[in-house]
Amino acid sequence: MPMPRTDQAAESETTANQLIRLAEMLRLDLAEEDLTALADQLQTIDALEKAELGDFPPILRMDADWHE
Amino acid sequence: MSDSRALINMSISEAAAALRRGETTSLALTQATLARVKATEPTVQAYATVTAERALESAARADWELAAGRDRGLLHGIPIGVKDNCYTKGILTEVGSKAMEGFVPDYDATVVAKLYAAGAVLIGKTRCHEWSCGGSEPPTRSAWDRDRFPGGSSIGSGVALSARSAFGTIGTDTGGSIRIPATLNNLVGMKATYGRVSAYGVLPLAWSLDHVGPLTRRVRDNAIMLGAMAGHDPKDANSACVDVPDFTAAIDGGVQGMRIGIDRGYFLYPGVVDSVRAVTEAVMDELAAQGAMIIEVNLPELELTRETLMTIRMVESASYHRGRIREQGHLYSPGTRATLQMGEVILATQYVAALRARERFRSAMKNLFWRENLHALISPTIPVSAPLLEDVWQPRDDMENGETPTAGFVHHVYPANLSGQPAISAPGGFTPEGLPVGYQLMGRPFDETTLYRIAYAYESAQNWHERQPPQV
Repeated sequence: MPMPRTDQAAESETTANQLIRLAEMLRLDLAEEDLTALADQLQTIDALEKAELGDFPPILRMDADWHE
Repeated sequence: MSDSRALINMSISEAAAALRRGETTSLALTQATLARVKATEPTVQAYATVTAERALESAARADWELAAGRDRGLLHGIPIGVKDNCYTKGILTEVGSKAMEGFVPDYDATVVAKLYAAGAVLIGKTRCHEWSCGGSEPPTRSAWDRDRFPGGSSIGSGVALSARSAFGTIGTDTGGSIRIPATLNNLVGMKATYGRVSAYGVLPLAWSLDHVGPLTRRVRDNAIMLGAMAGHDPKDANSACVDVPDFTAAIDGGVQGMRIGIDRGYFLYPGVVDSVRAVTEAVMDELAAQGAMIIEVNLPELELTRETLMTIRMVESASYHRGRIREQGHLYSPGTRATLQMGEVILATQYVAALRARERFRSAMKNLFWRENLHALISPTIPVSAPLLEDVWQPRDDMENGETPTAGFVHHVYPANLSGQPAISAPGGFTPEGLPVGYQLMGRPFDETTLYRIAYAYESAQNWHERQPPQV
């Protein structure tokens, strides 16, 4: 008898499945092991969206004033 | 000086001095290097293309110029190798890819043009992983142990130096690809500040993470090469408009009073093996003995650097390769194609989250340097010594989370690609089995000079750089 999934696991699987379908729609022609790697990779990205990013904008500034 | 063995073992600065004393010639240096290429290439295969005839002509011209009083600086007449993702006019540039087979650029990458202008002699193009990421392995083998991984993606640039078939080489670093070959081959590798070295004419992997930099056997040599490579380039939109200092000017100034941070929780995480941990501690002990202060710091934002960099890298790589893969996908190895395509399914909101996480990280890193008045952060370069080739992609027995050596490689090097701050890997010691172990210093933007000064202080106190690989 299969174990009931946690909400988190169900959510991750849904995200991965959705994105794998997207890969198929884009005709990326990825092998099964690549799709598995892709799903694993995409699940790590969830951590970014859950991170507290405050007001930081999506730009990179490079300046030299890191020291007195 | 006619002993070719003595010639090829010289540092760049030693060779430069010998040239000016009339003890050798660029032609002799180049002939000795080409003889070394001939002797070692069957074993190590560091070069994709060797430009012997052109090198000999360049060397003869360099000698003529020096004799005529036209001295282009310390790289004048010095044989070098250039990674095969850098455009070289009239010379094959194939970036390890079947899709680029036979491609001959009609212009030089800015960094190549600058090295020519400094009088360097091009020995050839060094091998790299396919499109500088690669799901296929080049035939290049380590001179330290041919059964062990020699690094990547600037694999040939590292091996050519350790095999003594170049005096200096150029690598590129999107996620450690200069520093990882440096540590695995007992070399010095500098990923300078983002924008310090022009990327014009260098085939990209991810525009906002790509860095071009030098690999050498000695710290001073590295500073000499960076000095020749750096500078604003109007052809590169990301090139920084900052002055280029003489990176060697204060190199022997010592570390007295310098503040060097270590985040033990992140940099000495459980994946760092004992031999690498011991080397890192030994480097810190030596620097402390010379008067530096080792400061314990904590930067929690380091924890998300892997996810952040990978997201940005995947999207930028997919953007660059999308059209070519649609037309020439069959000319990519399957693993490389998958790696370069995955970014197509990342949502725009996820990409923006990664960009914001990068800015949060950079800001936290800057605040740490300010708050602790740091000159540098220190860490291992990678958590392990060179793994066996058969183990590179296998889960480590000693890691409960199944981390592979390649997954661990990125732990220490990704942060500096993400922040854009400079980072150097230099020889730190050896494992009991005789494999090289490097350490990494991360610095303040556009302050490569301080990193060279610290690395030189450590190099001057020991002789790890003098050890030579047994395989060639």
